[in-house]
Amino acid sequence: MITRIVSNNFEIPDSHTMDVALSNGRYSSLKPVFEKEPQELIDIIKASGLRGKGGGGAAAGNKWQIVSDWEGTKYVVVNADESEPGTFKDRRILSLDPHLLIEGIIATCYAVGSNTSYIYVRGEYEEFSDILQDSIDEAYEKNFLGVGAQYRVDITIHRGAGAYICGEKSALLESLEGNRGHPRLKPHSPKPEFYFNEPTLVNNVETIASVPFILENGAEAYRAYGTEKSPGTMLFGISGNITKPGIYEVEFGVSMLEYIEKVGGGVKNGKKLKAVIPGGASTPILPFEMLKEARLDYENLRDLGSALGTGGMIVMDEDASMVKALKNLLRFYHHESCGQCTPCREGTSWSDKILDRFVAKRATMEDLEMLRSVSKTMNGKTICVFAPAASGVIDGFLKHFESEFLECIV
Amino acid sequence: MSFSYTQENSIKIASLLNRYPQKKALILPLLWLAQKQDSYISEDAMGHISEFLNMPYMHIYSVATFYTMFRLTKPQKRIIEVCRTLSCELNGSEDIKKYLDNNYSKEFEIIEVECMGACSGAPMCTVDGKYHENLTTEMIDEVLK
Ligand SMILES: Cc1cc2nc3c(=O)[nH]c(=O)nc-3n(C[C@H](O)[C@H](O)[C@H](O)COP(=O)(O)O)c2cc1C
Ligand code: SF4
Ligand code: FES
Repeated sequence: MITRIVSNNFEIPDSHTMDVALSNGRYSSLKPVFEKEPQELIDIIKASGLRGKGGGGAAAGNKWQIVSDWEGTKYVVVNADESEPGTFKDRRILSLDPHLLIEGIIATCYAVGSNTSYIYVRGEYEEFSDILQDSIDEAYEKNFLGVGAQYRVDITIHRGAGAYICGEKSALLESLEGNRGHPRLKPHSPKPEFYFNEPTLVNNVETIASVPFILENGAEAYRAYGTEKSPGTMLFGISGNITKPGIYEVEFGVSMLEYIEKVGGGVKNGKKLKAVIPGGASTPILPFEMLKEARLDYENLRDLGSALGTGGMIVMDEDASMVKALKNLLRFYHHESCGQCTPCREGTSWSDKILDRFVAKRATMEDLEMLRSVSKTMNGKTICVFAPAASGVIDGFLKHFESEFLECIV
Repeated sequence: MSFSYTQENSIKIASLLNRYPQKKALILPLLWLAQKQDSYISEDAMGHISEFLNMPYMHIYSVATFYTMFRLTKPQKRIIEVCRTLSCELNGSEDIKKYLDNNYSKEFEIIEVECMGACSGAPMCTVDGKYHENLTTEMIDEVLK
């Protein structure tokens, strides 16, 4: 079931060192890359159907085209903020195969016409970004980067400092400019992101790490995996009440239950499966009954009323309390709201407090109604999708596990 | 007490200046270097950064207070961060937190934090910033003794 494209070198010891990386195929995509015109590369990425792996699943090729077409000094920013609960895949790339990421960055920069890239790594990942920094230093020594390179690219690691919202691309760029990490208002027409007013591409670590395979083997080779609309593979993660938690790369479209059984080893301690949060904490929960049809691709999970998100599944067994689980997530949202928008700042705070009364089994019917109405206001007009995501999480729990909430009402 | 960067850090800063289109982008790196140097970010350090970047003190302060990893007071003890988010809670992080509170709160400041990106190693904590995963009480004793 496991397919190795991005994770191919994860188990090779010392893959983060240049010698081992080179003898296992790293940087080999650059030769065919530099033989092509940048536009040809963008067309290959478009044809491959590569979709962003940071949660949204946007078509990478279109984003590259917009940045390439925009006048100005271009930047390529790699999003390694990885703070979505249940998500721990990018860290594998940073520490187990950093040269794959560097290779992908060089190709991406060449394709969109940029000479400067930043990797924004969450502050907590210091151990892993130190490994990445050593690899970047080696890449400079070997003239894959810097003035001596065939195509000049400079990569700088920028260290975050603990703020979930900085994973949102515009908040990330604010942070990279030296500001508080506040998301920006979104434009109405297709535009790139902007770093100090210059056109900027923001892609997730895994998205960029998927680029070398595609550019070396062609769009069709990537499309050989996955489904028509969700082509390729993803580093799916599994955690919670599971026997073998971890990151396992599979192609899009595989059955979720099969993934849980075959690669995850099934629910821990022989317990029964109760529910799964499919793609990181901001995707709505799915109860066991719905999982029989669940497939790991964007379309299927959307049709089931949830989302693929970051592909980080959180498994809950028969003993898990849904009231407690929602409390846990709302505490997270309350803690991480950046506070710019009133519906989000107030809504996350209220809903967190209301849940305390459910956990204490002292809630009232008004509390339940209030929770529903707070959720509705959060789904209104906010600057970023953080608040609507929180709202979707609440609605998912109430829709599928209402009886557990009713049991907490006096 | 006035603040200045060590010579080693000053060299780092000089090289970082070439890496960004505007000096202002150095705020986070400068705050990190100050914190590494002193274990926290003092008012003097923020004042120094404000002068260095030629930006209002209030801007530096407002950025420093936005990010949870920046410490504006000197830590009295070594720091343990325990993840409390869902995958860790489902795997017993509450008991880990209690065990730490009961046995190690004299020598360590024990802080609860949100998901650290180590969910497959739940429950987990960091000690002085270093990750420890798949925690058991025995393992905690082993690491902290
Ligand atoms: C609240 C919030 C948090 C996010 N956190 C991350 C993150 O940690 N890492 C990430 O790559 N994308 C994150 N994203 C998505 C980014 O905004 C952006 O879409 C992504 O980095 C684009 O890269 P991709 O198209 O390659 O996925 C987040 C979005 C939101 C709304
Ligand atoms: S929705 Fe919430 S997190 Fe997003 S900008 Fe508004 S306040 Fe900040
Ligand atoms: S939930 Fe604890 S590390 Fe992710």
